Amino acid sequence: MQRKPLGKSKRRRAKATRKLRSRPLRRISSRHLHSIDRLVEASAQALGIPLEHGWTEGVAFNLQLILRHAKLVDEFQLADDIEPAPVFYA
Amino acid sequence: MLDAPTPDDLTWSTAGDLAAEVTAGRLKALEIVEVTLARIRARDLLLNSFTAVTEQRARERALALDESRASGKLLGPLAGVPFAVKNLFDIAGLPTIAGSKINREKEPARRDASLIERLEHAGAVLVGALNMGEYAYDFTGENIHDGPSRNPHDFKRMTGGSSGGSGGAVAGGLVPLALGSDTNGSIRVPSSCCGIFGLKPTYGRLSRARTFPLVASLDHVGPMARSVEDLALTYDALQGFDPDDPACVNRTAQPVTPLLRRGATGLRIAVAGGYFKPRGAEALQAIDRVAVALGVDRDIDIPQAERARSAAFLITASEGASLHLDRLRGRARDYDPAVRDRLIAGAMVPASLVVKAHKFRRWYRQEMLKLFADVDAILAPATPCAAPLIGQQTFIFGDQELPVRANLGIYTQPISFVGLPVVAAPIPLSPLPIAVQIIAAPWREDIALRVAHTLEAGGIAAAARPTT
Repeated sequence: MQRKPLGKSKRRRAKATRKLRSRPLRRISSRHLHSIDRLVEASAQALGIPLEHGWTEGVAFNLQLILRHAKLVDEFQLADDIEPAPVFYA
Repeated sequence: MLDAPTPDDLTWSTAGDLAAEVTAGRLKALEIVEVTLARIRARDLLLNSFTAVTEQRARERALALDESRASGKLLGPLAGVPFAVKNLFDIAGLPTIAGSKINREKEPARRDASLIERLEHAGAVLVGALNMGEYAYDFTGENIHDGPSRNPHDFKRMTGGSSGGSGGAVAGGLVPLALGSDTNGSIRVPSSCCGIFGLKPTYGRLSRARTFPLVASLDHVGPMARSVEDLALTYDALQGFDPDDPACVNRTAQPVTPLLRRGATGLRIAVAGGYFKPRGAEALQAIDRVAVALGVDRDIDIPQAERARSAAFLITASEGASLHLDRLRGRARDYDPAVRDRLIAGAMVPASLVVKAHKFRRWYRQEMLKLFADVDAILAPATPCAAPLIGQQTFIFGDQELPVRANLGIYTQPISFVGLPVVAAPIPLSPLPIAVQIIAAPWREDIALRVAHTLEAGGIAAAARPTT
């Protein structure tokens, strides 16, 4: 039987599906991922940053490093009325 | 006065001497430019400092200066002095690549960065753009797209970064002056690794207009040179309000060159203790040598310095990621993987923590200002060790092994975090130099420069000529 030619929108969808399948994205298997890896995968998805295969480890390493620094800042007790200094005058 | 200068004399002359010769008519700006271009052609194959050489522009500019002098016009204080800039400064006609692959596709800049305009107004001659760590998120001077900047004292070693090409070009005698940028230490770290003088001015003092940013609330720009007088001359030419940089503070320029000879007598100087106590032999030797020379026997504790470094680390990660978010979505493959992973991670940091870091900055700034009621200048190491090998991943810090990329700025970050002015003064240890930070109160660049000048006059600090 000869296949009926796809319409324009179906062709576009098929192309997108092929592209998605060929993309070397790391498959998420939440059962096996460390929690920081899960955080990285979920955050990347929420931010719309595509994570290719093999990137998660490097990002997770850096995120852990940043969060260790953040913990040190977070532990310090500051008065409620201290204003943030995002752009400041020295 | 230079007596019948050879090309070698011109290469290693100070900016001040070159300008004096050109102003007196004993030397033409074009001669200096030709010697400089020849030197870059001959040496930069080894140093890899330059990413673009603006030969035609430099010759035209030098010719115009020589014509001005011939017609009796007054020349500026940097007449005929060649300089180059980190490639995150806009240069009209070139894309501002900021060490990246992605920015090579940008339209050429239409106008020079403000600080280039100011140096040219003072008579200096731009000769090119300099290599740097990708998007300035770097302490090594390595670059995956352009290759690493190489240290003139040992080509196997890092220049430090991210203003690595600026450090290499000045230390290697390619130019007497360069401009760099410093978000967390990127002027001071390469100054230390390459053994030259660097000035990171007070936050808001010098205009960043038409430079590619990294972290708006931490980015500074400043000069690097082989003598304190050149640093001061350049800094004086760069000062002044600029409405094109929202962080540039509207203050009257305060020329420092005339103040250098006041020396350090009468200044209250202390060595930073605690967090800043050197754990490496080179840093310890450098600090000791400076403290003895200045007669300093007082230590001072900078409160919560480690936490300040962490807060700077956090803000950098988050603001840097925010700047790059769109590119990370569409062009992440085109980043150096080491930079890409840091930036993506930075995008994932909760805002509540970043705001806390900004609040902590307010507290820490107040504490630092209190210290300056009792002292005029504080001494601290610039880097934990002398220049590591290119490609080296870790270094020994006391009893710890730390990653190089994130930690070469361990002593610089807590200082730039609140925008204090700092001169990195090179101590010519053998076989490799290392710098000491001279830290002053906000807007007191003059004090840091006076201390550096005293050390230079006493032979303690010096930009040693490489033997390679």
